Amino acid sequence: MKKTAPAPLTPAVLHILLALSTGERHGYGIMKQVQADSQGRTKMGPGTLYGSIGRMMEAGLIRESVKRVDPEMDGERRIYYQLTGAGRAALQAELTRYRGVVALAEGRLAHGR
Amino acid sequence: MAANIAGRRYRTCYARLLRLYPRPFRERFGESMAQTFQDLCREHEEAGRGLFGFALWIFCETLAGIVRENILRMDQLGKTVLRAALVALGLLMAPLVASQVVEGWNWPAKAFVFVYVLFFGTALAYGLIAKRMNAWAYKAGVGLALVTGFALGWSNMVHVADSENPANLVYFGVLVVGGVGAWLARLKAPGLARTLFAMAVTLAGIAVILPSGAPPVLARNMAIGHAVFVALFTASGLLFRHASSAELPK
Repeated sequence: MKKTAPAPLTPAVLHILLALSTGERHGYGIMKQVQADSQGRTKMGPGTLYGSIGRMMEAGLIRESVKRVDPEMDGERRIYYQLTGAGRAALQAELTRYRGVVALAEGRLAHGR
Repeated sequence: MAANIAGRRYRTCYARLLRLYPRPFRERFGESMAQTFQDLCREHEEAGRGLFGFALWIFCETLAGIVRENILRMDQLGKTVLRAALVALGLLMAPLVASQVVEGWNWPAKAFVFVYVLFFGTALAYGLIAKRMNAWAYKAGVGLALVTGFALGWSNMVHVADSENPANLVYFGVLVVGGVGAWLARLKAPGLARTLFAMAVTLAGIAVILPSGAPPVLARNMAIGHAVFVALFTASGLLFRHASSAELPK
């Protein structure tokens, strides 16, 4: 059977996977990390964030971790999210796809000179 | 202090807004979303930044999420109803804009509501009937029949209101023929073809029998109008006939 390439990830999903690649985070933590990763260029609101989280959990890319207090914030307990193996593989596949696009673009630009 | 009160008010409004999410989504993420909004509010307050613009953006962004999640969880009928509502809203823009730019176009609010209901009903009828068959001719026939029926009903309604001549109500008989015919045909293409031809014949008959009493120029224009409607109903009937031939086993 022919193996089909995975579909490109949406920007929101890619940013969330990247934010969780260094460790588990709660919703606000993911937002802050996305903002930091994109140097403030990407602002994700709760509607996009939790909608994406829901779909990513259904797709098995991420899962809920424990509910606990963030020592750097108030005393409220928060749900943390973490990458699954499938999520890490999807991120890896997306980066490979990006590398392919970059190589193709560089090759074409070099020929165009 | 004032920022605190505003923040509390925004948090209350946001919690209310979250109730618009579908129940499973709300139960799963509602608490976390409210918490995240609170965290964002706190961040803004601590930075001494105003909350209004930020809250407005978050509310709009969340509203878009609410629409998206509700659409994703809708069944086929819900999606058809939503599509019809949006199409009707788009069509309503025409008279709405016209009332702003055309002099003398002063519709009261209830007229817009009435027109919206008519648009919605027509769009919903198309959505529900057209999906009964995949043939393009059937879909085109349904669309053409509904648009022509709508235009006939609308122009006649305006004409009756302007002329105050109750005899013109007889034109609604054409729509009654259409409704009864569609019901008897169970929306099947061969029956609908016959129904549309019957509508065309009924309209032509009315045009010939009913004395217009209008001046010659107006009478000529009315004859042209009748001919156009008859042609459109006939074209719709032909489309249904084409669809019914596609329906037959080869």
